[in-house]
Amino acid sequence: MLLQMDSITKTYGNVTANSDVSFNLHKGEIHAIIGENGAGKTTLMRILYGMETPTSGSIRLNGKPVSFHSPTDAINNGIGMVHQHFMLFSSFTVAENIVIGREPSSPIGFDRKAAASVTDQLAKQYGMPVDPWAKVGDCSLGVQQRVEILKVLHQGAEIIILDEPTGVLTPLEVKELLAAIKSLAAQGKSFILISHKLQEIIEVADRITVLRDGKVTGTVQAADTDEEQLSKLMVGRDLVKLTREKKQSGKPVLEVNSLSIRGDRTKPLLSDVSLQVNEGEIVGIAGISGNGQSELLQAISGLLKPDKGSVRLLGQDVTGAPVGDIRRGGLAHIPEDRYQWGVSKEADVLENGLMGHTARHHKLGLLRGSSIRGMVAEWVERFGIKTGSLNTKAQFLSGGNLQKLIVARELAQDTPFLIAAEPTRGVDVGAMEIIHKELLQRRSAKGAILLVSSELTEVLKLSDRILVMFEGKIVGELMAETATEERISLLMAGGKHVG
Amino acid sequence: MDKVTATLRSLVQPLLAVIVGLAVGAIAIVIVGGSITETYAEMWRGAFGSFYFLTNTLTRATPIILIGLGVALAFRAGFFNMGSEGQMVLGALSAALTAIYMPGPGWLKMIAAIFAGMIAGGIWSAFAGWLDAKFRMNLLITTLLLNYIATYFAAYMVTYPFKDKTGSAAMSQTVMLGREAWLPKLFQGMTLHVGFLLAVGVTILMFLFMKHTVKGYEIRMMGGNPLFASYGGIQRGKLMLASMFVSGGLAGLAGSVEVLGTQYRFIDGALTSPGYAWSGIMATLLAGSHPIGTALAAILIAALQTGGMGMERNTDVPLEVSSIIQAVLILFVSAKLTYSFIKRKKAGAKNGRAL
Repeated sequence: MLLQMDSITKTYGNVTANSDVSFNLHKGEIHAIIGENGAGKTTLMRILYGMETPTSGSIRLNGKPVSFHSPTDAINNGIGMVHQHFMLFSSFTVAENIVIGREPSSPIGFDRKAAASVTDQLAKQYGMPVDPWAKVGDCSLGVQQRVEILKVLHQGAEIIILDEPTGVLTPLEVKELLAAIKSLAAQGKSFILISHKLQEIIEVADRITVLRDGKVTGTVQAADTDEEQLSKLMVGRDLVKLTREKKQSGKPVLEVNSLSIRGDRTKPLLSDVSLQVNEGEIVGIAGISGNGQSELLQAISGLLKPDKGSVRLLGQDVTGAPVGDIRRGGLAHIPEDRYQWGVSKEADVLENGLMGHTARHHKLGLLRGSSIRGMVAEWVERFGIKTGSLNTKAQFLSGGNLQKLIVARELAQDTPFLIAAEPTRGVDVGAMEIIHKELLQRRSAKGAILLVSSELTEVLKLSDRILVMFEGKIVGELMAETATEERISLLMAGGKHVG
Repeated sequence: MDKVTATLRSLVQPLLAVIVGLAVGAIAIVIVGGSITETYAEMWRGAFGSFYFLTNTLTRATPIILIGLGVALAFRAGFFNMGSEGQMVLGALSAALTAIYMPGPGWLKMIAAIFAGMIAGGIWSAFAGWLDAKFRMNLLITTLLLNYIATYFAAYMVTYPFKDKTGSAAMSQTVMLGREAWLPKLFQGMTLHVGFLLAVGVTILMFLFMKHTVKGYEIRMMGGNPLFASYGGIQRGKLMLASMFVSGGLAGLAGSVEVLGTQYRFIDGALTSPGYAWSGIMATLLAGSHPIGTALAAILIAALQTGGMGMERNTDVPLEVSSIIQAVLILFVSAKLTYSFIKRKKAGAKNGRAL
């Protein structure tokens, strides 16, 4: 046994983050850890990486008891970690980033050439091609991740922790990464993989450990399990299978006509985008984030003035109208970035819930406290929003609970048209289920929804039609029945236009 | 329960600031060779020691409260209005001229003068808001610089066109207002006038407005996260101009009641040299923009100033000790601002990562 963590318990005050968690890892094994937000995955990894000390329990490496007091300790013992958000210097070259902390030196200082040749050698040895002289800032996210992994390998890591490694990658990059992990494991490196993408985990991992509420609910062989069993272990109950009833869509609700936004870069942010969303229809927009989706949504909702084109909502021209007018005209909006647009963190749950609802809850300009309280309390109940009280500040709610509050608020606007941008980003499986169910209910009630998500599975699961965006253009339209992940991925990466 | 602890917690910082301020003041007193207890006792007597001194302190607090409330409103909406001084001076000048030249009965002159003062201060402040909305000129800077234009303009007006040529010719001031336009005193022989009741009324109104009205809610949300507000359909431009107008209007009101209730004419420099505007800003910062807290902090600051004068009359300790205490208060307040700024930056970075 390469690594053994025995009965790890970690408490913060009276909160137990890990309770009697045991975990082990063989040489050359890929062992995944999954669980909902707050299940204790991160705490466990922070303990292993020397960022936290356990309240009780022990860690043994190659049979010898060890205790790490800092990441440096962990690194010196052959444990490396690739964080979800890369820790790279974007203005330095690939080689410089890889050798950092262990730089080869020449008599006059840093030996650039030696660094490059070390990098080349590593890249060849582990089959992960990179250009040592390229600036990291110019590399794609997939390449940046390779750089991170090579950096950890250069530091001599035998055990590599990957925290949500596929979150920012394109489908093709995900494939390459999973292949690279497998090949490294075959060369004797061991991996701990933290992820919430069940499909990928089943594909790549040897064993899977599931955490719930700080406890291990199961360790299974990947070959013997499926997504359903894993979900059940994570959530603690069966998930309801969602079915999208077939339905004829109705009258057009949103009509966007050749919308363009120039922006100040050389490429236009949005060029000639036209689309239509009908009653009782969910139209999904797939695409790697940063391909114009944000600008499209902002232009529709009135936050950004388009340079060209028009937006019609329920037949009314609302191009460039004030946000308030468009909302009153029938739009609700689950924003893409909840902290930037969706809430005021200093304000409490009630105040955040009230946004957009003031018209229904005042008398002569005076707010009616009890009716607001009733409205928000009902959401808290229905969506299972975990909050201390209705007067708790938004900043103290977890991301998932905040998202549920925002979704509840926007659904309660009860408008004919809804923008749902990344509606389940960062929320756990249970919350995702609730949100998906609510969106489909809205569809059954003749609502029109424009869904934008960087999660392909989400788009495929909910949409009636799927549009793919690439570099500010719509490069393909597919019907849900005929769309496959492969075809969408190809379009997302800028592949050929498919009729 | 939640609310009680939150309120108590919000009191910790200002109280700490006052205590440390007094402690540093004590060191200064020792250095100049005074007795700490005796000096602070004199200070207390000078501020609250008798009914006369108490009302005197409240008179001084009146313009500070009004200015503080105005600044607090702008802060809550997310804007730095550093232009209270100019807004107050223009308000005072307009009030004085209206009361002097407007025909009609005394009460009408009085009310018209108050409104003229508020409107003048409001327009001056909204002008800065308009510059921001139209030309993206930074409010902090424009409001600050507009102070100079306002105070020199007022100085010119009372040095040339509206100068009082009847009395001692050396002073730059208007003639005295007719007695019928004066704000009535609250007590015979005391300085305290109706303006104080006005200030208390505005404090309560502002508290209720912020907490219980739709507009107050919108202002707070805009101050908390402007993007959230505009996403929710709140129109920033309009609301900003309105809040800046009211903010400056309150500063103008402060100038008006000072003219109508205490000085009975506009005297160049009589509003700027006591530093009412800056004391008001300090009160707001000390109270974290809470309306009632701002009023209390304003009374505290006024007490430090009147108490300091009492202390200087009756001991050998100079008035500057009271300035030292105020300076420590400011230091504390700015530390709080920087601290929350850093906290917000860190939080912002964290959220960026959490996605």
